[in-house]
Amino acid sequence: MAPLLELNHVTKRFGQVVVARDVSFTIEDGAAVGIVGPNGAGKTTLFGVMSGDLRADSGQVRLAGRDVTRLDAAERTRLGIGRTYQVPRPFSGMTVFENLLVAAQQGGERRGAASHSLAASALERARLSERANLRAGQLGLLDRKRLELARALATRPRVLLLDEVAGGLTEPEVREVVGIVRETLAEGVAVVWIEHVVRALLASVERLMCLADGAVIGDGEPREVLSSAAVREVYLGSEAAFEAAS
Amino acid sequence: MTWLNAIVQGILTGGFYALFAVGLSILFGVMGVINLAHGDLAVIAAYVALAMIPVTHLPAVLAFVVVVPMFAVGGYILQRTLLQASLDRDPFTTLLVTFGLSVVIENVLLEVFTSNTQSLNIGSLLFDTLNLTPQIPVSYFSLVMLAVAVGVLGALQLFLSRTGTGRMIRAVADDREAAQLVGANYRHIFGIAAAIALATVSIAGIAYGILSGFTPTAGTANLLFAFEAVVIGGIGSLWGTLVGGIVLGIAQEIGAQINPAYQVLAGHLVFLAVLALRPRGLFGLRAAT
Repeated sequence: MAPLLELNHVTKRFGQVVVARDVSFTIEDGAAVGIVGPNGAGKTTLFGVMSGDLRADSGQVRLAGRDVTRLDAAERTRLGIGRTYQVPRPFSGMTVFENLLVAAQQGGERRGAASHSLAASALERARLSERANLRAGQLGLLDRKRLELARALATRPRVLLLDEVAGGLTEPEVREVVGIVRETLAEGVAVVWIEHVVRALLASVERLMCLADGAVIGDGEPREVLSSAAVREVYLGSEAAFEAAS
Repeated sequence: MTWLNAIVQGILTGGFYALFAVGLSILFGVMGVINLAHGDLAVIAAYVALAMIPVTHLPAVLAFVVVVPMFAVGGYILQRTLLQASLDRDPFTTLLVTFGLSVVIENVLLEVFTSNTQSLNIGSLLFDTLNLTPQIPVSYFSLVMLAVAVGVLGALQLFLSRTGTGRMIRAVADDREAAQLVGANYRHIFGIAAAIALATVSIAGIAYGILSGFTPTAGTANLLFAFEAVVIGGIGSLWGTLVGGIVLGIAQEIGAQINPAYQVLAGHLVFLAVLALRPRGLFGLRAAT
């Protein structure tokens, strides 16, 4: 069977700068994969190429064997690629529940009643039930992050791309986000998670990739990746990786 | 009593301005398009109705039934072709494109219909009045148009807040990229918004054709009034547009009461005052925090 998500020799440039160079990897159904790497390594760009926000200059993106390289973000969402932004982008004039309803109707389930229950379960999963009728613009950071996650969940993804959902949160808040991600994984949804908070990743993923300068320089069992020479060199001086690895 | 009459007439005119302005407000709110051809599109609706009557033998009042759906379809097509193509480049291009469209429309209308003043004749319906008091005659037609304006705005409000498509329009207006990420085809949504905008402006255009004589270049002046109604009411607020239209209408009628030459000027002055004192309009949303 074809892997769920597959990148074949993807290259992406912004002008003269190569932000992804000949990147290839596969994500299996239900997998939990973390991505680390210094700022500017090309992590978010890679998400853009996977979700359809960005078009690869060359190479191929496949979802469950189907070539989706030329599809736009909306079409890919409907096929099962969900994504969150690093800085949450809720529809701020709408209520929390309306945000989820839009996602459920467009990405997940067109029928009225079914989309309502899809939105409601995403609401509950992200522990936002008490905020359902607040305008999204009024939410604090944690709730915005929860909403960002819930909105992606409401599109009923087969693979969920998380871009630093734990960034900027306190320790207990991070634990809560980890809990939500684990529940999502338990339902069989594959998760690819970019995160600087390495503790959060180690608590959730079984595979870790390290990106540097647009290329994958480490891929495998998380602790082994973090302790490998190449990754240590990239992270030299960065406490996070060493702390986590030791 | 003449002052009270001015206010009543102003409210009636305001309904008409709101009908004119709501499409402009939608196009700007959803797509960020400032449609400089808005007034000309309304004038086209009047001419289409005019040209249709001798062919179909329908009474002018029924022109709405044919022209409004026609404009809705036309709006969708216009958005998916010309406007979207320019939006894909940049917003400034879109402004120029609508300006160009305005020039082209006026010249084509001049070519086809000449510069003679035309009007849509609905017979005595236009002159029948309800006399609240002998000094305050209320035209049934204006009253119906005010009711239509309120009805259209109410229906739009419901549509935007209660239906899936309406929510989608709001989502796309809020953040187009994020909307795509939840699976929305924003081009289609833009098309629907443009269909609504053109349907509403065609109602206003036909009403205008009935209420007053029109020429191919009448659109420009009406565009200005529509702009003023939107800005006074506050961009992004449907009911604000109605209030904006009414404020503008009352200002003009009161100005005319003082001196007929002041009619338009009074409206502009109120517009200027609102811009200076409440730049976001009376009901405008505060900047997102």
